[in-house]
Amino acid sequence: MNAKLFKNLAMPIALVAICVFFAVKEPAFLGPRNLTQLIVEFSITGTLAMGMFMILLTGQIDLSVGSGVGLIGGIAAVLVFQHGWPAPAAMGLAFVAALVLWTAMGTLIVRQRIPSFIITLGGLLIFKGLFWLVIQNSTIPVSRGDEENLYSRLTTYYLPDSIGFALVTVVLILLNVLEWRSRVARTAHQISNPPVARTAAKWIVMAAVSLGLVYFFNHFRGVPLSLLVLAGTAGVVYFLTQHTPFGRYLYAIGGNEEAAVLSGIAVNRVLVGAYVLMGVTVALTGFMTTAYSGASTTTVGDLMELDAIAACVIGGTALKGGRGTVWGVIFGALIMTALLNGMTLLAVSPEIKFIARGGVLTLAVWMDVKLGRQ
Amino acid sequence: MSAPLLEARNLTKRFPGVTALRDVAFDLRAGEVHALCGENGAGKSTLIKLLSGIHPHGSYEGELLVDGGSVAFHSIRDAEAAGIAVITQEFALVDELSVAENIFLGRAPRRGLRVDWLGMHQRATALLADFGLAIAPATLVRDLGIGQKQLVEIVRAMDKKTRVLVLDEPTAALTEQEVAVLLDHLRRLRAQGTACIYISHKLDEVFAIADRITVLRDGASVTTLAIREASVPLLIQHMVGRELGDLFPRRPAFALDEVQLSVRGLQVAPSRHAPPFLRDITFELRGGEVLGFGGLMGAGRSELLLHLFGAWGHRAAGDVTLHGKSFSDPTPRAAIAGGLALVTEDRKRYGLVLDQPIGFNLSLSSLAQFTRTAARLDLPAEHVCNQRFFESLRVKAPDQRARVGGLSGGNQQKVVLGKSLMTEPTVVMLDEPTRGIDVGAKLEVYELINRLTTAGKAVILVSSELPELMGMSDRIIMLHEGKIGGEFARADFAQEKLLAAAMGHAARAA
Repeated sequence: MNAKLFKNLAMPIALVAICVFFAVKEPAFLGPRNLTQLIVEFSITGTLAMGMFMILLTGQIDLSVGSGVGLIGGIAAVLVFQHGWPAPAAMGLAFVAALVLWTAMGTLIVRQRIPSFIITLGGLLIFKGLFWLVIQNSTIPVSRGDEENLYSRLTTYYLPDSIGFALVTVVLILLNVLEWRSRVARTAHQISNPPVARTAAKWIVMAAVSLGLVYFFNHFRGVPLSLLVLAGTAGVVYFLTQHTPFGRYLYAIGGNEEAAVLSGIAVNRVLVGAYVLMGVTVALTGFMTTAYSGASTTTVGDLMELDAIAACVIGGTALKGGRGTVWGVIFGALIMTALLNGMTLLAVSPEIKFIARGGVLTLAVWMDVKLGRQ
Repeated sequence: MSAPLLEARNLTKRFPGVTALRDVAFDLRAGEVHALCGENGAGKSTLIKLLSGIHPHGSYEGELLVDGGSVAFHSIRDAEAAGIAVITQEFALVDELSVAENIFLGRAPRRGLRVDWLGMHQRATALLADFGLAIAPATLVRDLGIGQKQLVEIVRAMDKKTRVLVLDEPTAALTEQEVAVLLDHLRRLRAQGTACIYISHKLDEVFAIADRITVLRDGASVTTLAIREASVPLLIQHMVGRELGDLFPRRPAFALDEVQLSVRGLQVAPSRHAPPFLRDITFELRGGEVLGFGGLMGAGRSELLLHLFGAWGHRAAGDVTLHGKSFSDPTPRAAIAGGLALVTEDRKRYGLVLDQPIGFNLSLSSLAQFTRTAARLDLPAEHVCNQRFFESLRVKAPDQRARVGGLSGGNQQKVVLGKSLMTEPTVVMLDEPTRGIDVGAKLEVYELINRLTTAGKAVILVSSELPELMGMSDRIIMLHEGKIGGEFARADFAQEKLLAAAMGHAARAA
């Protein structure tokens, strides 16, 4: 009982504690400029973690995504800068490349029964090599000269004030309609609904927080476009995991693969599907993170696979599969990002940053083991 | 009369949402075997966990007494110090260590800092000889049979000066011969003054060994009977709280339907290049009938079902026809789509996702039924369907959101059955569907079989218990080393004939 309560409260408490710590050390941490930056970084880590989440649910792992992020961002940058492709076409081709690579990895894992740890470890090295070949170990900007394009705007575009408000309002209304429809359906099936007051309270809190955030962002430059990418990705992953057979199968395979096979689940197809979706989030993250650094360089994407895994595990996703939620992963990504951002702001040396990152990852896995054992 | 060795007074144990034990009274005298009987979920395991310190003092109400004095066990260690040892179905032995090392696990005799290997082996040899066990102390535990492992655990417990031996379903996986050996040992220990709490679903064993029987029902101790006052019908009546008719209420269908499944000359090998293990398997199955498959361990019954379901082996030869259509390249998916259902023997390993709720498991094979446009699941419709199965199978749990891993064996089995039935099969294959579940749940499984055949479905029943096989089948095929050893119509059912066929002694009767 206490363990469960602790589990539910641990994340919010940790997040608040981290924020308070950095805010005391450096008040600019909570300033609009830094928070906007933090949100862009959060969107990048969070999007990748969404793909990793579905992989971990099945009990598999993907170590290649950090290199993949660099490679896919690099392909698009080279096409734009050196070959003069329009950004959408360049990103489209790079996206297809990601789909092909991750379909191939997923297929190898299920057809040849090679452990995903090994295949994706191979992927980590191979993609890194390909990445450096593609960019010729140089720095490739995401746009030519000072001109802006879709690619460069990914992390520098902010929604106009009114659009930000309008969008959040539409989403809030949409959520309300969905809730209402589900209530009607439940009533039609004679299933009891949770009390209206509680649902309403939840909705009001959500509305207040999201509108408040938009208001806050608008004080600086507006809602970052990259946050929309994360919100869209998280929405899709939430729908997939909670409202489709595919999502059920992810949990079932991670929970008991043998039972999943005998339940008639096309386990191989579901696993390949999870890797293809991982490829999609790798591409999105690759574009965003390359755009964020302004150019493709050899270090883009370094160690991002570990940040994504840490975000999932901090958020309560079990490494052995079968357990985890989208909300948890979002919290996990926030914690991870706040930590890295805060340390950068305090000009912590890279040596210490590595140690802190490793410490957090270890702590998260330790908690996974500890709490998973009740 | 002196105070009982172990006594429980007014024990009440509450879990969130459930009262597992209410006001239970129980006493154990020196030198007696006291059986605990009751349906799954009646509270037997909870009582054991209280007596053995797994649920520590303070987590329950009531009083525990040893030798007439009140005790407070805070851990298993406390209970062991008081002389209480529990032996469960899951062995606490290390497979890769020797028998001697296991017996002295954690308390190996020492000589200075070193383990006294010689002394340990000598003492182990003496202990094993005391028990009349012909096991070399250097044997690795993984090379022992299940029955021998059990005995090694008992030897270990006895060396720890155990006065109360608690055996939880000790014979679930034992052969009849091993059971006899175990019971002999218990009788000898009893004669030496050791008291024993014996939990088993097998009532014939209970009658063979117990001096007294306490029946638990819904967490309450219903009655304690001396063995001479007890009878099987009386016991069952106490356990389920109602009178039961025939133990095997098979109602054969009036008329058989058309052939649903036909198997001709089937040869199946474990893998592509291995010699066939299943050979010359030929049979037909009609709607409305129960075809029983019997045989000794390793005769190939489970393998046959798994192969038909597309989950085992490589087909070297033969034809399988499902509803008149050839079923040549089976996979579990294709089998389910073709109306085949399989309830496996090992439900925890092959049947359930233990971490997930009941509802999740029930609908896992049937999600296509609830899938709407854009792959969206109709969650309310799914909930309603789950609820229907949850209620009609009478799964004992607060609601369908309860975790399957927390249910008792019988209730887990009901969830597996529900999962298979929700796929709307026409041929239902049941592999040991009543293993490890209590009498009441068994009856419900039998009734379910009757309902299925009445509805025109065909059932294949694999069982190691001959009375069950004979009671519930319309026809029986005995397998012997991967081949059909004999086929019997209901009129020809006789234990001796069936056993002879299982051992390969009968010419094939048809």
